[in-house]
Amino acid sequence: MPLYRYILRRVLFSIPLVLGITVVAFLIANAVPADPINANLPQSALNNEQLVAAFREKWGLDQPLHVQYFTYLGNLLRGDMGVSIRTGKPVLEDIRQFLPATMELATSAIVVGLLLGIGFGIVSAVWRSSPVDYLVRVFALIGVSFPVFLLALIGLSVLHAQLGWVAGPGRLSFLVTRPPEVTGLYTIDSLLAGQWSTLRDAASHLVLPSLVLGLYVSGIIARITRSSLLEVLNTDYIRTARAKGQLEVYIVLRHGLSNALIPVVTLLGVLYGNLLAGAVLTEAIFAWPGIGRYAYRAATSQDFPAIMGVSMLIALIYVIANFVVDLLYFLIDPRIRYS
Amino acid sequence: MITPAATPSGAVTTRPRQRFRQLRRHPEVIVGLAVIVTWFLLALFAPILAPFEPLEQNIQQRLQPPGETHRLGTDELGRDVLSRVLYGGRITIPAGLAVVVINSIIGWLAGAVAGFVGGLWDEIMMRIAELFMAFPTIILAMAITAALGPEIRNAVLALVIVRWTNYARLTRGLIIEAKTKEYVEAARSLGAKSPYLLFRTLLPNSVAPVVVYGSLDIGNAILLFAGLSFLGLGPEPSSPEWGRMISIGIHFFDQWWMWLFPGLSIASLVMAFNFIGDGLRDMLDPRTRH
Repeated sequence: MPLYRYILRRVLFSIPLVLGITVVAFLIANAVPADPINANLPQSALNNEQLVAAFREKWGLDQPLHVQYFTYLGNLLRGDMGVSIRTGKPVLEDIRQFLPATMELATSAIVVGLLLGIGFGIVSAVWRSSPVDYLVRVFALIGVSFPVFLLALIGLSVLHAQLGWVAGPGRLSFLVTRPPEVTGLYTIDSLLAGQWSTLRDAASHLVLPSLVLGLYVSGIIARITRSSLLEVLNTDYIRTARAKGQLEVYIVLRHGLSNALIPVVTLLGVLYGNLLAGAVLTEAIFAWPGIGRYAYRAATSQDFPAIMGVSMLIALIYVIANFVVDLLYFLIDPRIRYS
Repeated sequence: MITPAATPSGAVTTRPRQRFRQLRRHPEVIVGLAVIVTWFLLALFAPILAPFEPLEQNIQQRLQPPGETHRLGTDELGRDVLSRVLYGGRITIPAGLAVVVINSIIGWLAGAVAGFVGGLWDEIMMRIAELFMAFPTIILAMAITAALGPEIRNAVLALVIVRWTNYARLTRGLIIEAKTKEYVEAARSLGAKSPYLLFRTLLPNSVAPVVVYGSLDIGNAILLFAGLSFLGLGPEPSSPEWGRMISIGIHFFDQWWMWLFPGLSIASLVMAFNFIGDGLRDMLDPRTRH
């Protein structure tokens, strides 16, 4: 199947999913036991009859449910996700403000997760049933069993408070000014502006949250890499490579790993979703001004437009991430192309 | 994390003696079981074992580090952390169990019907499942709990709504596979009608794998419940629930005993379930069995 047909097919398959996501978001927002006007408008606006009427008309609240959904969808297509009750700003604007921080955290966490996970997975598979293997398996178990918030607190307590190796909560220290905004990612922006001390400070703040979040996904990656590499190392072509007298390191990395990583790539989309979900808890602890903390504060203050906006955004990112992963999969695994 | 595919139905047919021999080769399963049984007993006998009432305040004794009277220290209101941790098991463990039990019943029935009826019904069911999986669990659960109001019951309900799809997919796969088996064909040729086939022939045979998967999934359910509770979307603040205790403990960061002990309680319990899951997966996987 040519690539463009594959992409077209995947896009067509994604449309009902995206529409479904909007339906779920709409239904949950409607499941609010309270009157939607009370739930969506700030207290100060409730006494203003004109505002209430305008809100009712905008969201079609006097119409039947299905009509309300189409109004909601129409507003959504125009990029209108409503106004956050807590910040008083349009949800889309808030998301635009908070998303870069999460992207910075999630990207560095996935790098940490991949490096640690694949590294440990290889070590564990090559020295199978050795003490190293057991250690790695226990590490992987800690990664998937310890609540992210506990890892974060232990990290903060030991690496920040006791040893002072890394910076504490927040994205920048108190007196450090933000770099001029280009991407919204402080490390990149300070690099672009040539502000080295800001870069050092931003990186130091990034270490601990991305380590905690990275550890969380590295456990999963290590387990998959291990089992998939073990399977590959038992195949005939690896035996042939060994019989030819090739170096073991070369066999494992070149022949073994390149095939063993296919399941890891497949899982990247799901892992990215996990990461964004884990970001809610991590950001809450590290006072990281990202989308996760925004969602958390929205949820605890009953700010429905904001929380539904974030849920939908993350679900969409998840769909896109899986789409990209499928494309990668198509490119690296020739079997898909011929099916 | 255990995937449905990792618990093949072959699990049930192993002979007890063989199974015991395998168990000896996987000490982690025994350790996991021991930890879980200990936690169950601790939670069950908390009223006898706890030295203080979990809600009993003693302002003069506030923020005491672990010592003679208060083995795990006291919190900001002078409540005994050990007693609260023991009582906490009585909230978190049943909540995790409830999520998994309700999830498995709903998912089991929905998946079985989808797999058995097939066609459009199956297609609709699986698209719905896919949809739920597109939302990261904790964020959707957060939205639902926020909509329903922060309460233990609502946190459990939110997790049920978000997670039943795993079970539905597992059961659906099992039923589709079983439909082609000879015993089903035999029952059909003997004149068995569809409801009989589904409820008497197919469903009972899919119980064991769902139960195995469910028992391994309790750890994940506990982790998610504690996460919701940590975010303030579970029980009320005074409750001795572990996640809630940690979220309050954060404000007293230097009084590490306030957050470390409830945190380790969650971690030990979840780790024990994952120990069992890992061991069972190795035992049941024919590639790694020998």
